[in-house]
Amino acid sequence: MEKFKSIIRDYPFIAFIIAFVILAFVPSVVFTDVYQSHLATLIFVNIVVAAGLNIVKGYCGQVTVGHVGLFAVGSYTAGTLFLYLGLGFWVTLPIAIIVTAFFGVAMGIPSFRLEGPYLALATLGGGEAIRLFIENGNFFRSTFGISDIPTPSLMGYNFDSPDRYYFISMTIMIIAVYFSFSILRSGVGRAFMSIREDPICAAAAGINVKKYKILAFILSAMFAGAAGAVYAHMPPGYIHPNNYTVIEMVTFLAMVVLGGLGHIWGGIIGAIVITIVYDLTRPLYKYQLLIFGLTIVLTILFMPKGLGGFIDRYFLEKRFKKKTGTEKTT
Amino acid sequence: MILKTKQLSKSFGGLKAINKVDFELPKNEIRGIIGPNGSGKSTFFNLVSGIYDSDPGSYIEFDGHDITYTPPHEIAGYGLSRTFQLLRLYQDMTVIDNVMSGYHTRVPYKFFDAVIGRKKIWDQERAIKEEMMELLSFVGLADYAELNASELSGGQRRLLVLARAIAMKPKLLMLDEPAAGLSPVNVDNLMKIIMQLKEKYGLTLIIIEHILKVVMDTCNSVTVFDHGQKIAEGTPAQVKDDNAVIEAYLGKKMDDEEMRKALAV
Repeated sequence: MEKFKSIIRDYPFIAFIIAFVILAFVPSVVFTDVYQSHLATLIFVNIVVAAGLNIVKGYCGQVTVGHVGLFAVGSYTAGTLFLYLGLGFWVTLPIAIIVTAFFGVAMGIPSFRLEGPYLALATLGGGEAIRLFIENGNFFRSTFGISDIPTPSLMGYNFDSPDRYYFISMTIMIIAVYFSFSILRSGVGRAFMSIREDPICAAAAGINVKKYKILAFILSAMFAGAAGAVYAHMPPGYIHPNNYTVIEMVTFLAMVVLGGLGHIWGGIIGAIVITIVYDLTRPLYKYQLLIFGLTIVLTILFMPKGLGGFIDRYFLEKRFKKKTGTEKTT
Repeated sequence: MILKTKQLSKSFGGLKAINKVDFELPKNEIRGIIGPNGSGKSTFFNLVSGIYDSDPGSYIEFDGHDITYTPPHEIAGYGLSRTFQLLRLYQDMTVIDNVMSGYHTRVPYKFFDAVIGRKKIWDQERAIKEEMMELLSFVGLADYAELNASELSGGQRRLLVLARAIAMKPKLLMLDEPAAGLSPVNVDNLMKIIMQLKEKYGLTLIIIEHILKVVMDTCNSVTVFDHGQKIAEGTPAQVKDDNAVIEAYLGKKMDDEEMRKALAV
């Protein structure tokens, strides 16, 4: 066991390969109908967005409310590339990631000057502007949406049903989570956290604040772009501007807050919980916003570090007690 | 000379916070900076570390680099580290992360390696962590490494800030009131740790401090600021007897005739 632990510590990607194998068996073993595969794909898409949002909001502390706009950019880059050039998933995915990264730069530039609620307002405007631009542009099929975006195929095998597309979304999710994991565990993650806690002190400690802020926005935008492209190609392959409203943004935020701001697994835990709750409360759709708003408020009040922080705390106190023999209950 | 300023000035509106200060600091010296509140000591630190831009005509040189208009993170890269009067602790980070973030300028790997997550990175990260744990146990915080910085006591926070500033292995360390709010026992302890760190890392130090005992005991030389100007400089003994200094702190020294007049009124 000790040896296994040290191998994982040196080569963390092995843990991700194991997770991949386990998840690959889930549909055939656990799922009873196709809808569950569809839901799983949604969870994976949300995990990718939330992992990205966790970088910029949880770690770097930049309150962005325009992330759903970047998600839309990813989706619509994939959608329009198919619509006008007939390109498939394997080409549209990387292009969507790159295009969204540029939008991330634009979204990040206000963060040089604005902080907290002011930055939130600026990015909210940015995100909404993107959605309205799409909704009112004939180029993007405005409110008709883009339909029949094809599912990807690989070596003659077409991932054309939800239970097949599950494997595509899962792979992308595992890769994205792995990247977020290694970025945040390294010195880059620490630099992000220092900027969140105190930009002036971070600068005095040798961290280029502007560079790292933009880097955080670019990284999280790339995550949103990848998620957007996966979402666009998801069967039945239909995207519509209404999928990218502020309401979606609130659910993304709820994921990150509930999972734990600045916790390495925060966005992931939150994405799983919120997506399932979102699905179960579909009959109560009138109250969904209320539920998520309340979730955010209650989490911040009673569990400021979210589920992730809560679990961490439990183990930390155990270790501290073991090490020093005293209670630490603050 | 590790640090040199010429005609350093900074005004906020009409207030001249720092007014034409010429300052020179040789290597391996411990320099104390004293002066009444509002005399420009902290502003001087902020100018040197690049957090404020100095007024035109100023010149700052650090270790052979002209840093007059250099952004703070590049100055830190040259090897200048500082602490803040209000600590600016990273409250929501663990103690060990706090110290490791001070290591930033020395992190050896490239960003792209970190994204890929190569084994090299984790080895180096572990080496950094070990080195920083050593530093933490040196200042006596090793047991608290995994706690949040906000859970430490006031004295421990001061030690943590000190450790964080040392983590980058600076050439020059500027301490802004390191002992403010500590009890006399803790002050002695802190000064002992600072002296040991100086020996260990070969630091040059500038210390702003209001506790005169600390300054008189530990510093090789003292600079006195008042109203944004340098009014005296020399060994602690010289400065103690300097008329300008006594005037700034206590008021004018009177001769018998003046005293009689003042009392007669």
